[in-house]
Amino acid sequence: MLRNLARNGLITIVFVYVGLLIISPLLSLVIGAFSEGFGPIWSTLSGKTFLGAFWRTIWIAILVVIVHIGFGTAVAWVMVRHRFPGRGFLYGLIDMPFALSPVVVGYMLLLLFGRRGLLAPVLEGLDIQVAFALPGMVLATLFVTLPFMIRELIPVLENFKIEQEQAAATLGANGWQTFTRVTLPALRWGFIYGITLTFARALGEFGAVLVIGGGIQGRTDTATLFVFRSLDERMYISAYSAALALGLLSFLLVMGTEILRKMDKNIAEPVKKRI
Amino acid sequence: MNNFSQKVSIRPTIFLLISLVWISSLLAACAGPAGNNPTGNSAKVTLGAYTTPREAYREIIPIFQKYWLEKTGQTVVFEESYLGSGAQSRAVVEGFEADIVALSLEADVTRIENAGLITHDWRSQNFGGMVSTSVVSFAVRKGNPKEITDWADLARPGIEILTPNPRMSGGAMWNILGLYGAATRGFVAGVPADDPEAAQTFMMEVLKNVTAMDQNARESIINFEKGIGDVAITYENEVLVGLLSGDYYELVIPRSTILIENPVALVDVYVDQNGNREVAEAFRDFLFTREAQEIFARYGLRSPDSEVAKATQEMYPPVEDLFTVEYFGGWETIIPIMFAEDGIFARTLTKAQETR
Amino acid sequence: MTSTSFRQRLFRGGRSKTMPPGQAGIRFTAVAYLIVMLIVPLVVIFSDGLREGLSMVWYQISLPIAANALWLTLWTAAVMTLINSVMGMLTAFVLVRYNFPGKALLNGLVDLPLAIPTLVTGVMLVILFGPQQALGAWLQEEFGLSIIFAPPGIILALLFITFPFVVRSVQPVLMNLDPNQEQAAATLGASGWTIFRRIILPPLWLPLASGALLSFARAIGEFGAIVIVAGNIPLRSQTAAVYVFGEVESENRLGASAVSMVMVAIAFLLMMVVDRLQKKTGNTP
Repeated sequence: MLRNLARNGLITIVFVYVGLLIISPLLSLVIGAFSEGFGPIWSTLSGKTFLGAFWRTIWIAILVVIVHIGFGTAVAWVMVRHRFPGRGFLYGLIDMPFALSPVVVGYMLLLLFGRRGLLAPVLEGLDIQVAFALPGMVLATLFVTLPFMIRELIPVLENFKIEQEQAAATLGANGWQTFTRVTLPALRWGFIYGITLTFARALGEFGAVLVIGGGIQGRTDTATLFVFRSLDERMYISAYSAALALGLLSFLLVMGTEILRKMDKNIAEPVKKRI
Repeated sequence: MNNFSQKVSIRPTIFLLISLVWISSLLAACAGPAGNNPTGNSAKVTLGAYTTPREAYREIIPIFQKYWLEKTGQTVVFEESYLGSGAQSRAVVEGFEADIVALSLEADVTRIENAGLITHDWRSQNFGGMVSTSVVSFAVRKGNPKEITDWADLARPGIEILTPNPRMSGGAMWNILGLYGAATRGFVAGVPADDPEAAQTFMMEVLKNVTAMDQNARESIINFEKGIGDVAITYENEVLVGLLSGDYYELVIPRSTILIENPVALVDVYVDQNGNREVAEAFRDFLFTREAQEIFARYGLRSPDSEVAKATQEMYPPVEDLFTVEYFGGWETIIPIMFAEDGIFARTLTKAQETR
Repeated sequence: MTSTSFRQRLFRGGRSKTMPPGQAGIRFTAVAYLIVMLIVPLVVIFSDGLREGLSMVWYQISLPIAANALWLTLWTAAVMTLINSVMGMLTAFVLVRYNFPGKALLNGLVDLPLAIPTLVTGVMLVILFGPQQALGAWLQEEFGLSIIFAPPGIILALLFITFPFVVRSVQPVLMNLDPNQEQAAATLGASGWTIFRRIILPPLWLPLASGALLSFARAIGEFGAIVIVAGNIPLRSQTAAVYVFGEVESENRLGASAVSMVMVAIAFLLMMVVDRLQKKTGNTP
């Protein structure tokens, strides 16, 4: 009986904690957004300003995911398949953006790409604008999302036995078949989680992108900046609506991944560490 | 193992493909907004402003667009950015090609000037280049329950104050200068005139009461509207704009306060780069016309134009003792003394926190 | 396999006798990417910060406002980590060991903070706990507790943001624990608490520590939520990230770079420890 009491007690504590910490803030956001009905929400989300900012955010997130798929896999591969001096150091380095203040990131990029930055002469020669333009924002987002894909891929790669590929090869599969039928399926959860986390983080990026982008309406504003600006202009429902839209999108992504995973019966890899 | 190496070489191909996709999309993204050249009969003007007059510009710009279209048949498109004054000034210096900057204080324009981006004498425009003015004042709760009428009241124990952080916002410097100036000019009860030590002690007492230091004046007043604090030290125009949005609080103007002067300037280097000098200059001049000045006045900004000022006198009562940053010897003199990381403000703030 | 190539000896984990061009290509790509994305910006910050020597760096970070900002950042992150460790462990335990209505929902909620932009987190907390709201006003009157614009607000925001980390770190290990040991202990007469303390907990220390350190590291750099919620008063409620922002804004580049350097160093050291711990965890069956 004591066991039951303990059990119920623990469950209650957790629910209260999560209720206070997670659910109530979210509820207040939802209530705030819907406080005047669906109309204002719709007019915000279909408005030109929001849509422009929103699509820019999505575009940046997609670019960033693509880059990390390519280069992240390369880095994860190298980290897993080779032992070299300084590997631990590299681990630390890769994860470091995770803990870095976005303001510092934006500031670093300005030091490099600003008009008086280190790379300014190069940029002028090539007539490329990085600061206060899309490329700078992409770079900033690339930096802050760097660890996610790599971190997700490393454990999956580690558990992936090269013998599986070799076995497939001995059974007569060619390179491409091996890749698509043996390698990719085994690695897919690493990729899927990596993509989800990268995308969600990219959607929510604010500080770095603001510093390097300048928040120029129609050119470098993002969805998060839209929220921020709406708050400043006392357009609260606008702000809450946009915030809700952003959160919902990321949440659906994360949830979708979880559902996919539940549906997937062929999970061969052992427990992986996420995050 | 032959098969092994065969399979492994697939992967780098895919990486290279993906990298190519990435590089090309990045290039595509770069190629996009780089060109500013107007096509056909349209021009573009880029405005870099501080946050306060946002609402005013939203009204002024369409009027100018219409006026310009009628006058020259040219459509002018506006690109606007509203950031904190210092942030905007730095952005321009770091490469944001604004044609016109409208900032909160002269020092922020001087920064752009010193970077070599402004090559004409912008101060020789109307009103010394200042397109609008305001005064440092207080926002208090409706009915003024704490009876805050002047600077001295801010030092009373138990009063909770909101004011922005001068390190984070150049515009926030106005507030501190207003306080300090009123004190050294003898307009604070209990603080003798021309006594810097007494003035600093007074500042310390006020700083002890600060509940939140926001990034800029707008955020200060917004937090005030959320119910935080008894009084917000802010600009008169922030209070008036807030009142326009239907918020319920009152404006209190102290007997002695500083005149906030907001400059506007054309950024020569970018204007010549963008090739739109004619329309940019026209827009700059438009801001000083009666029509634009009246719009500014409607959004809480006092006009330097004496006629408009007289016409709006009811909304903008005269201040008993109004001084400017010249009282301190100009921005170049006062910023290092007051706002350096070990300046008077920082030291006083430290002392205030230590003795709380 | 008597003669091993030099390359094989250099990369002891390598499985191929010769390095196919693909492998070299991968290695080069990886290295180039890391250099561009990580090393270069870091070098920039460090060289800017050290521009006027180490003594200047020390001067900048020992300015009362800067030092206090770093201290506030560290202690609020520490308190948050403590709370997060306990509650995260509890949540993971409940999710793994029990079945109850709403379990799937709870599991989904754990990941939710990852999906919310930190700015929005700050806004939500101000809406909920700000003094003008019922909850905030009540807390202030009854307990004299102000959450918003005070360190509790900072801790709350950080708790929200880092909630998934400990849970998701502990959960998989907990799931894989061998129940036989517990059953054996139970038949020997051990109480629930003893079983927990001596059988369940020990293998969880590592993932717990790694999740905790991750939360801590994440908390140090947090800006978006803090700047909304914290009050940002120097020496009272201003964190290091907000301080750096202020210094950048007021052109104290040296101060900004110096404090940034310290934050980078802390973040880096922490992440190295996390990774070492996680590797250890990965090797436990």
